[in-house]
Amino acid sequence: MYGGGNTFEGLKTESVAQEDQAKLGEFEDRIAKGEKIEPSDWMPQLYRKQLIRMIEQHAHSEIIGALPEGTWITRAPGFKRKMALMAKVQDEVGHAQLLYSAAETLGKPREQMIEDLINGKSKYSNVFNYPTFTWADCCFISWLVDAGAIVNQLANAKGSYGPYCRALDRICAEESFHLKYGHHCVIYLATGSSKQREMFQEAINRWWPPMMHFFGPADKISTHTHVLMKWKVKMGTNDDMRNQFLDMYVPKVWELGFTLPDPNLAKNSETGRWEYTEPDWEEFKRVINGDGPCNKERLEVRRIAEERGRWVREALKSPKAAYITPLA
Amino acid sequence: MNSLDPRVNRLSGHTYLSSGEPKAPLDQFGTFEVFVQPKEDKPFQHEGIVHAPNLEMAFVLAKEAFTRRFLCISLYVVETSNVYASPMVEGDGNAYQRIEEVVEEPGEKESYELYHLTKRGKQHVHVGTNEARSPKEAMSRAKQKFNSGKGICNVWVIRTRDIRFTLPDERELWNTLPEKKFRDASDYKGGDKLKAFLGTNNQTPNTS
Repeated sequence: MYGGGNTFEGLKTESVAQEDQAKLGEFEDRIAKGEKIEPSDWMPQLYRKQLIRMIEQHAHSEIIGALPEGTWITRAPGFKRKMALMAKVQDEVGHAQLLYSAAETLGKPREQMIEDLINGKSKYSNVFNYPTFTWADCCFISWLVDAGAIVNQLANAKGSYGPYCRALDRICAEESFHLKYGHHCVIYLATGSSKQREMFQEAINRWWPPMMHFFGPADKISTHTHVLMKWKVKMGTNDDMRNQFLDMYVPKVWELGFTLPDPNLAKNSETGRWEYTEPDWEEFKRVINGDGPCNKERLEVRRIAEERGRWVREALKSPKAAYITPLA
Repeated sequence: MNSLDPRVNRLSGHTYLSSGEPKAPLDQFGTFEVFVQPKEDKPFQHEGIVHAPNLEMAFVLAKEAFTRRFLCISLYVVETSNVYASPMVEGDGNAYQRIEEVVEEPGEKESYELYHLTKRGKQHVHVGTNEARSPKEAMSRAKQKFNSGKGICNVWVIRTRDIRFTLPDERELWNTLPEKKFRDASDYKGGDKLKAFLGTNNQTPNTS
């Protein structure tokens, strides 16, 4: 699961003008032809840094995203739901491993990424800093947050970096089950008792603001953004992604007879785009910078897991094994 | 911590919270490349990597990471440093053109596995086996044996002896894969329930 929103700001890097122009030309031609870039190819510093940052944040989001759902495994209604949720949470953690591996091919070791997550240096998707109070919250995540993630991931799978595309192809294939499972859970709540319907309506009301934040604020279109789009690192604007999500899922929510807590939410038939109340970007910034309901808990759980696993790593450590950057 | 999850609250105050000791820098495990064979008549294909302390653990972790969900009848792992890679060439190029001829040296021949990447962004696929005295020689010999002349972006060579294969009795590991329907999208059909609901409620979409 992944919110691509906050990944394209404030990256300090060498100017593209300082790169070897001949190599840069070859690199850009390759991308223009629709060819993928592989780890052993030459690439500009900005490309490398931006991808590391983006794939790393995606990986962290998978790991942290497992927590708000994982907490519901023991309380999921029925044996089959428990099995499914367990498989889903295992998938998310598996996705993090695939993504860490893809980021590693760019030269940042996995250990360093995990370290940066725990000490707060790296970010993850903001949506996971909110708590899952009821089973209905968990269903909202399984269906709609995953749906949002799939919108982002399908777009990014058409990007230019080979290892990231390979990881995303695999991830998208696995997530098709998540989405169907999530929708199934919601249909059961929607067609159940009035209490069940009420539970899901409350979950929608709680989760709609973070869901609108999920895709990030409207992009400031700078030369920087243009370059990243040309290099197929960024595959669409945050607003495009949000619009695509609203287009696919708002009708499905309405179809079930639920309301969305935004009186201005409507599709403009002339422009074909959705209009909505501007999300509270101050809250978004505040939460992403650490002051959300669950930020502390999420990182603390991660840190404790690292500590508890230490003896296992110690016991397995092989003094002969030397780390090298993976090939693909 | 004051969590909604009682298990998280139980972690608080435990010694784990304040070990304080900084972690040794980069005590991470080496990486191993993972190859999976999805079906009897399909070749092994590179799937990705796992971090592990040794080949045996790499095999166990690879099974978890790469063969939970999709078809698999066999998998193998090899240490990343035991994979010899050719230069990477353009999509319409042929990596064999960049491989130099190796003069044969005396010595015992060993078996090597060969892999091609036919399209950038796709996976390396096993193409066959070869006898040689070094990975370099194996690649050079493959030039005659496996070079189809078509687009081959990259070639990998691995000495067969360095690979941790699936043992015959370990193939049972994947016998139960098709039974695990609860993680299959096709097992979540809510359509009928939804239709019945929409039929009885006959609700018009709420556009408020």
